[in-house]
Amino acid sequence: MNRRGFLQLMGVTGVAALAASCNRINSTVGTLSSPTNLVRFPEKTEMILLTDRPPQLETPIHYFRQDLTPNEAFFVRWHLEGIPTSVDLRSFRLNVSGHVRHPLQISVDELRSQFEPISIIAVNQCSGNSRSFFEPRVPGGQWKHGAVGNAKWTGVPVKSILDRAQVKSGAVDVSFNGLDVPPLPSVSDFVKALSIDHARDGEVMIAYAMNDQALPMVNGFPLRLVVPGWYGTYWVKALSDITVLPQPFSNFWTDKAYRIPNAPNGTESPKDLAKDTVPINKFNVRSIFVRPDPNEILHPGMQTEIEGVAFDSGYGIRRVEVSTDGGANWADARLDPEIGKYSWRRWRMPWTPRNRGQYRLMARATNAVGETQSKEQWNRSGFMWNVIQNVDVKVG
Amino acid sequence: MTKKTKTLVLALGLGVLVAGCGHPSNISKETAHGMANARMESMIDSKADNPVHTVVMPHDEPVFPPGPGRDEFVTACVVCHSPRYITMQPRFSRSTWLSEVNKMKDVYGAHISDEQALKITDYLFSINGKAGRGQGPKGTYGE
Repeated sequence: MNRRGFLQLMGVTGVAALAASCNRINSTVGTLSSPTNLVRFPEKTEMILLTDRPPQLETPIHYFRQDLTPNEAFFVRWHLEGIPTSVDLRSFRLNVSGHVRHPLQISVDELRSQFEPISIIAVNQCSGNSRSFFEPRVPGGQWKHGAVGNAKWTGVPVKSILDRAQVKSGAVDVSFNGLDVPPLPSVSDFVKALSIDHARDGEVMIAYAMNDQALPMVNGFPLRLVVPGWYGTYWVKALSDITVLPQPFSNFWTDKAYRIPNAPNGTESPKDLAKDTVPINKFNVRSIFVRPDPNEILHPGMQTEIEGVAFDSGYGIRRVEVSTDGGANWADARLDPEIGKYSWRRWRMPWTPRNRGQYRLMARATNAVGETQSKEQWNRSGFMWNVIQNVDVKVG
Repeated sequence: MTKKTKTLVLALGLGVLVAGCGHPSNISKETAHGMANARMESMIDSKADNPVHTVVMPHDEPVFPPGPGRDEFVTACVVCHSPRYITMQPRFSRSTWLSEVNKMKDVYGAHISDEQALKITDYLFSINGKAGRGQGPKGTYGE
C-alpha cells in the first residue's frame, strides 16, 4: 500500500474505531492523579493504560518473571495520533533512498527470503521508563517500571540492506521513518537517525519477528528498527523509509526532543538546568525487582526468593547486590547465565526474614566496566532513571 | 488503494458505526468507581494467511468536568491526543501547565492562539493543578 492509500484506509478505520466504541466510553474523572486502569488493545493482553490516543501501555511487572517478555504484554509507546492500523503486505515496501547508488523498494517477503537473517535478544526500554519516580515530578508519560521489555528480535542487519543499496561516499547519517503520521501538517513527523557507522555496525537491524512471531500492530508491524543497547526512541516502529544522508540529520525529534544533559548519567539540578544537552543514546545500568510482589505478605522463618532483572547497554551485568535492611548491609545475588549481551540478566537471592515487620529491599547492579546505579538522579525530561530501587515489604 | 476498495472499507466502517451506536450507553457505575476493571473492546480481523493486517483501536477517552476554558481545551487539544494525556499527569503548578501548553503551541505545532493558551491553562490548572505558586519544572520535549 502506498502512503496515500494507507492514510485513506487509516482515516476510514479511524472513523470505524470511533464508531465501534462510541457507547463504550469509560471515564476516570475523580481519579485524575493516578489512573491504574487495565486495558486490552488489539493483539495485546491486559496492560496498564497511560494514554489511549495515541496509545501508551505499560507492562505489568509480573511478566518480567519470564526472560522474554510476551509480545502481547510488551509495552507500547507512540508519539503521533496517526498510527497505522492496517498494512497490506502485497503493497507495503521498505524504501531505501537518499545518498545511495541503487534505491530499493523491498517487500517483507523479499526481506525474509533474500537476506541472511540474524536474531538478537535485546532489551527495549523507553527513555522515560520510571519517570513517575523523579522528584520533583516532571511532565510526560507517567511510567512506573514497566516501559521496558526483553525480546528475541529476528530480521536483517541494516548493513546488509545498505550494502545492497550501495551507499555513496560521504554518507553521514541514516534516518528512519515509520508509517505513523502527524495529526496536523504543522506537527513534525516522527523520524529518528543514527550515524552511518552505527547503522552499519551489523547489529542494528530491521526486525520482522519478535519472539518468533510477527510483531503486534501496536509494536510496529510489519517491521521495526532494533537498536541494541539504545533507548526505545530509536526503535522506529512500522519502519517504511530509510534515507542515507550526506549531512547530519536534523529535525524536532532530535534537535529539541529526547535530549539529556551532557553530564554523567544525564543528571542536572532543578535549580540549575544544563545548557549543554546531547541526544539520548545508550542505556545506563539498572535493575528491576520482579519478586516479591509489593502486595505479597511474607512470613517469618519462611524462605522466599527475591528476584529481579538487570541490564545495561551491552557490556554485561557482572554483579547485583541486594540489601534487605534498607541499604545497611549488602549481599551478592546469584546471577542466571547470560542469554545475550543485550538481554537482561536475571538475578536471585534466597531470603528468610526472621521477624515480623516492615523490610526495605534494595538492589544495585554493576556492569563489566564498573558502572553502577545512582543514589539520586534528576533531569527535566524524566529520562534514564536508574536510581537504586526500594521495595517495601511486610513480613507478618 | 482502488476506489472500489475504499468504498468497501468505507461501507464497512459505517456498518460498524451503526452497529456500535445501537447499544445503550454504559457510562455508568463503573465510571464512578474509577474504572478499575474496565476493559476496552478491541477487534482483530486479520488471519495468519491474510496479506492485509488490520486492527481496530479501542476508544476510551475520559469525560472531562466542566470548568473555565473547557471549550478551548476540547477544540485545540483533543484533535491531536486523548485528554488522558492530562489525566495521567500529577498535579502541576500553573506555570508548569502554561509551559506545557506553550510547548504544544510553539514547538509541537498545535493551532492555539495566545488567548486560547491562557484559557486552556486555566482549565488544566483547575482540573489538575497544584495549590501554591511554586515554580514547577518546565516541560521539555519528547517525554
